[in-house]
Amino acid sequence: MLEALLTIGGLGLVAGAGLALASRVFYVYVDPRILAVEEALPGANCGGCGYPGCSGAATAIVSGTAEPNICVASGSAVHAEIAALLGVEIKEREPEIAVPGCTYGLEQADLKYLYDGFQDCRAAVLLGGGSKVCPVGCLGLGTCVRSCPFGALSMGPDNLPVVDKDLCTGCGTCERVCPKHIITLTSNSKRVLREYTTDQCSAPCQRACPAGIDIPEYIHQISEGNYREALRVIKETNPLPSICGRICVHPCEYECRRNLVDQAVAINPLKRFVADRERMSGERVQIGRAPDTGKRVAVVGGGAEGLTAGYFLTRLGYEATVYEGSSRMGGLLRYGLPQNRLPAGVLEWDINGVQEAGVVFKTGHRLGRDMTVNSLLHEGYDAVIIAIGGWDTQMPQRAQGDILKPIPGVYILLDFLLAYRAGKQRVPGRRVVILGGGSAALEAARIHIREEALEVHMIFRGPRNQAPFSDEVLEDAEEQGIQLHFETAVTRMMGRGDELTHLELASIGPSGDSSGREILETDTLLTGSGRFPELIYVLETGSRNGEIESDEGEGAWETLVPYAGPSARDVTGFFRPGEAAGDYRAVVEAIGSGRRAVNTLHLYLSGNSIEGPVSMIRANTRVLGLSELEPVSTAPREPVPLSSEEMLNVDPSAEVELTYSEDQAVREARRCLQCGLICYRRIEGALH
Amino acid sequence: MTDFLLLFVSAAFVNNVVLVRYLGQCPFLGVSNRLDTAIGMSMAVVFVMTLASAVTWNVQHYLLNPFGLGYLRTIAFILVIATLVQLVEMFLQKSVPALYRALGIFLPLITTNCAVMGVAVLNIQNEYTFVETLVFAFASSIGYGVALVLMTGIRERLNTAPVLSSLAGTPAALITACMLALAFMGFAGMVQ
Repeated sequence: MLEALLTIGGLGLVAGAGLALASRVFYVYVDPRILAVEEALPGANCGGCGYPGCSGAATAIVSGTAEPNICVASGSAVHAEIAALLGVEIKEREPEIAVPGCTYGLEQADLKYLYDGFQDCRAAVLLGGGSKVCPVGCLGLGTCVRSCPFGALSMGPDNLPVVDKDLCTGCGTCERVCPKHIITLTSNSKRVLREYTTDQCSAPCQRACPAGIDIPEYIHQISEGNYREALRVIKETNPLPSICGRICVHPCEYECRRNLVDQAVAINPLKRFVADRERMSGERVQIGRAPDTGKRVAVVGGGAEGLTAGYFLTRLGYEATVYEGSSRMGGLLRYGLPQNRLPAGVLEWDINGVQEAGVVFKTGHRLGRDMTVNSLLHEGYDAVIIAIGGWDTQMPQRAQGDILKPIPGVYILLDFLLAYRAGKQRVPGRRVVILGGGSAALEAARIHIREEALEVHMIFRGPRNQAPFSDEVLEDAEEQGIQLHFETAVTRMMGRGDELTHLELASIGPSGDSSGREILETDTLLTGSGRFPELIYVLETGSRNGEIESDEGEGAWETLVPYAGPSARDVTGFFRPGEAAGDYRAVVEAIGSGRRAVNTLHLYLSGNSIEGPVSMIRANTRVLGLSELEPVSTAPREPVPLSSEEMLNVDPSAEVELTYSEDQAVREARRCLQCGLICYRRIEGALH
Repeated sequence: MTDFLLLFVSAAFVNNVVLVRYLGQCPFLGVSNRLDTAIGMSMAVVFVMTLASAVTWNVQHYLLNPFGLGYLRTIAFILVIATLVQLVEMFLQKSVPALYRALGIFLPLITTNCAVMGVAVLNIQNEYTFVETLVFAFASSIGYGVALVLMTGIRERLNTAPVLSSLAGTPAALITACMLALAFMGFAGMVQ
């Protein structure tokens, strides 16, 4: 007994002494600042910073390869302490928080099999991707909860993780361990940049919304009586809820799953309810913004799209200025809608909301008269977003026959022809490209040939046999020297100062993808479309375009095409079939386009690819869905209250449709089935 | 000399520590995703296994046996191997920084590797002499490395191969390991 104790004890003693001695003999000098920084760090070794543990992070911070606030797990106090230790400044970092992306637990979701194996999601996912039928459903075994170094996660009653917002540090450990990528980090910027992808749960209404509003979530908040929170959810992707709540064409309601049972949920009147409640209270729901990027962006056009672009630029930390040609903001919203559809007071409230979010408005500034794209780029703006809409939207601002040249080298075909016929306009350039436009395009092309232009190109989206002219006319045009390009799209404009110098053309393959690209020297682009496309102008850096060496030098600019929204089918270039890219059919489309233009610019300025997310849901993406529902309780849609006839007689401009009462709104919100990808709220007991 | 050669072949291939003795399965599946990490791991195992066997043999024969404390073998070996790995790590960090960076995180990882411990115990059970112990440990670790590198090579190719989705990942790896083990069965009977 004693021998054993002594032997093992002695062995331990020798080993300990040996190690102690070795640590002296083999001592390696470690920068004391590394130890000090490591001391200050929380020591959770969560890896949220991207370095192997806190000591790795400390080494990186001291060596200067990482910022002092790289640690996501500790607060600003710790960051300040580290910065003080090293005597450096810290940059503000955007806070992030974990959000689970599944709303139906194992009890309520459809299952493929019952899992009885090792209780860890990473093990469960090996068996055919987990037990749920839904490919993006939470497996509910709590791997994220156990992995959280800060105890911010717990398992809720329905086997879904619940985040304690006060404890979550945004370290991202849960995001990394979740094998289904269901719990993810979100921040203000990420919510602005969000597009629905095939990797996450989304309801049919959400996918149908051009603005991408999280519809089930806001309706859920209304049913719980959290009206301001509901409005906050809406404002994540739509800065004009009072306007939209009145005039939206609500494509979401056509996709509502309740249509399979009775009637769609009154999604839009519910939006109006929360928005009007905010307006009545006079207290604005405002969402925070990302840390200042120090960059300035000018938006031209004060309509729905321009306002939206300004709002999201501000949210992403840019200094946004919206220029409007007329004396008041609002564009078509102001000039194109009757008072009984959209009262002026409502319009003012939403427009003021954008201003209060930090956007600077400059009215009475017309592009082409008071400033140009070039002058804006040289005033210190890092980019210019054009959201001026079309011929119709500019009607209130001009006399017919005046040619408008708001953007360098681009004219609306109709403007050119009217002005030319009236003798007010000569041909604007020597190398002209005419896009779309049928016989008017041919007329313009012949005018240019007669006026001895050097090159005349006509561009057609479709193949030769689908051109709007007979073979004889086409051959005749070619004989006259007009160069025809079929199955071609314009994907980029390049220029210098106020002049257009080059166009980039892409040939479109049979499936609508772009293959070869070529650069064409051009000084004039006539577009048959009645609208100017939404465009982003940035000063050319030269390094970003490998295919064309920038011999333009200082002051050269180029355009970026915003990535296409989910409903777009043919997405190459900024002029789509028959229309400019960007969608102006409804205010909600313009809101979606405005946000995507901002996202594209943000991706560009932060050095990323300007395509949308790879797995983004588009028009032809196949998404798991349902064609019939198991029994759910039927309930008729709450009727929208209407103004009485007497009232309308007294004031003909009074609104016809009115806002839901609180009772009505809550009742209607409870009709929502709270759909996920394939889950929905069913009658108790009717399941299985 | 022939005896040593036979012992080497026996330990490295016929009684391969991973595929026949089923020791060290965890790193065998865990670090067999990339060839460079697999080679790093193999080198670390060769280093530690040989060194640990040499030291534990001496502990057994000059410390435990004289006092009749054979039953304390496990606990004593754990203590010795852990200390040894720590010492080696310190030594490398100071004297051979290049090797330290190459072996990196693998050194502390194999402190508690059952293959290292298993070989140390097998040396005693098989009543090897000191030199035999060295050869056996070295050969075993080489066998471990061979198995690990083979497995990694297959898994790297498997990553790009069309695998039935229900078998993708760990199931496919286990089937691969099984087939690899069957292949090593071909060595059976060559040497005892």
